[in-house]
Amino acid sequence: MSSLFFDAFCCEWLKRRRSLGAWLVLAGALFTPTIIVVARLIRHAQLPALYAAPEFWTSLWRSSWESMAIFFVPMAAILATSLVVQIEVRNNAWKQVHALPLEPATIFFAKFAVIVLMLAQFFVLFDVGIYLSALLPSLLVVGVPYPPAPLPLRAFLADTAIYFIDCLPIVAAQYAMSLRFNHFLAPIGIGFMAWVGALAALSWQHANLVPYAYTMLDYIKDNPAARAIAPASGMHAFAIGWFVVFTAAGYVSFATKPHKG
Amino acid sequence: MTCLETIDLCHRYATGEAILHDVSLAVPRGSVYGFLGPNGAGKTTTLRLVLGLIRKQRGAITIFGRSLDTHRVEILKRVGSLIESPSLYEHLTAQENLALLQRIHRVPKARIDALLERVGLAGTRGKRAGQFSLGMKQRLGIAAAMLHRPDLLILDEPTNGLDPNGIIEMRGLLVALNREEGTTILVSSHLLAEIERFVTHVGIVHRGRLLFQGTLDALRRERKSEVPVALRTADDRRALRVLADAGVDACADEHGIVMPAMPPPRIAAINRQLVEQSIDVHAIGAGGGDLESIFMDLLGSRAA
Repeated sequence: MSSLFFDAFCCEWLKRRRSLGAWLVLAGALFTPTIIVVARLIRHAQLPALYAAPEFWTSLWRSSWESMAIFFVPMAAILATSLVVQIEVRNNAWKQVHALPLEPATIFFAKFAVIVLMLAQFFVLFDVGIYLSALLPSLLVVGVPYPPAPLPLRAFLADTAIYFIDCLPIVAAQYAMSLRFNHFLAPIGIGFMAWVGALAALSWQHANLVPYAYTMLDYIKDNPAARAIAPASGMHAFAIGWFVVFTAAGYVSFATKPHKG
Repeated sequence: MTCLETIDLCHRYATGEAILHDVSLAVPRGSVYGFLGPNGAGKTTTLRLVLGLIRKQRGAITIFGRSLDTHRVEILKRVGSLIESPSLYEHLTAQENLALLQRIHRVPKARIDALLERVGLAGTRGKRAGQFSLGMKQRLGIAAAMLHRPDLLILDEPTNGLDPNGIIEMRGLLVALNREEGTTILVSSHLLAEIERFVTHVGIVHRGRLLFQGTLDALRRERKSEVPVALRTADDRRALRVLADAGVDACADEHGIVMPAMPPPRIAAINRQLVEQSIDVHAIGAGGGDLESIFMDLLGSRAA
């Protein structure tokens, strides 16, 4: 990584400070764990039995990921990406960015790297949130011990990494669209429609080709109660493939734009 | 020596409407070049092309003797710009806004405070740009353009939103920058009166065509020879007859008599003739010789 790219990256990272995108990452990641904590505190009478169960962590993990995989992760990827790009549009700053002594590739990938890192931050915060949602009731409710079952940390981190790969196509597609359309609603609207389309395609035998469906497919693939039969074969390779295709398309579109800012 | 040069710059909108017609600017090194024209004349389009913000369709752009097409990044390292409204991140403080650029331009951090002091924003370094008045934003935008001590500063209507005092301060700042650091400044405006006090050169653009380019003195000299002569007498009807006899193609309007442009000795001779015919002359001279009139006259005559 060249030092100029690193400087451009740090510059982009500073831009997200106090921005709506940064707050969204924090709020989105901690929303489900907060709901779990509140729900458990309300139903505190059932907690001793729940915490003593050998499958406590796996059960917590799956219930936490349900809303995340189906809704929050795709939505966070759609919204956070668009909001980060909107920082330039809203502040009328693209013209200044393009007048800096930077190659288009440096500008494009520095901002993209910040978005991907924010997404990674989102997953890390969510994992920490899940842990806290287990820990807090045991600290706050008398008679509820810390779960005796061993924490399968390695498996959870592997799952998180898989979900991270799953949402990369969404991020790359949203980034390409956000750079193309100045209006905030265009990429978000298209992204939302693509997510609805992916939901509808879950029971399709070729759902593994749909770029917005991977987080959902990953969640339901081990769930016997799911209405869809997820074609899991090559899913993550497809996710990476779409990610590369959308990134390349986004860069070409960005670099060849006739009006820059 | 030329700092910035455009050769036959042409630009059309996607609709086919032509915005610029063969605009050839030559901004001398060390000059303060006023790029003048009414709104919609093509000033901002020209400046955007010069910065590479719009893809060039025809013509050539050379800055510091190098083509913008092949040396864009190298050139932009030495250029500061403020195009239309300042590009400020409103959720960041004044200091943070400059810190973004300080990193890219790799200038010492101390430069940020020095510059905020220079543009009169030292007391607001920790305040978010979104809370700034329009004038403060404009000053911060100029500070951002000046941060890396550019050799060429391109400012598009930099006094927009400034009060009279702010305009004077801005003028002083640019003059000092030009004199102390030798920065070449290309500044656009639609008001000649606003920039005539500090520019050394002017380029006048109207409807996408460059009507004049040169020093302010050259503009005055060129237009003086074309300015009509105004005459006011005690008896305009008799004066018109005397002028007709003398072969002068004069006509009367509500302000008096208007004669075609002529050299000063001819004006003196006409004055003598009128006095000899016992016609009292109240005033005689070239009308509209001030720069604003020259500017307006130029826009009216050449663009017609």
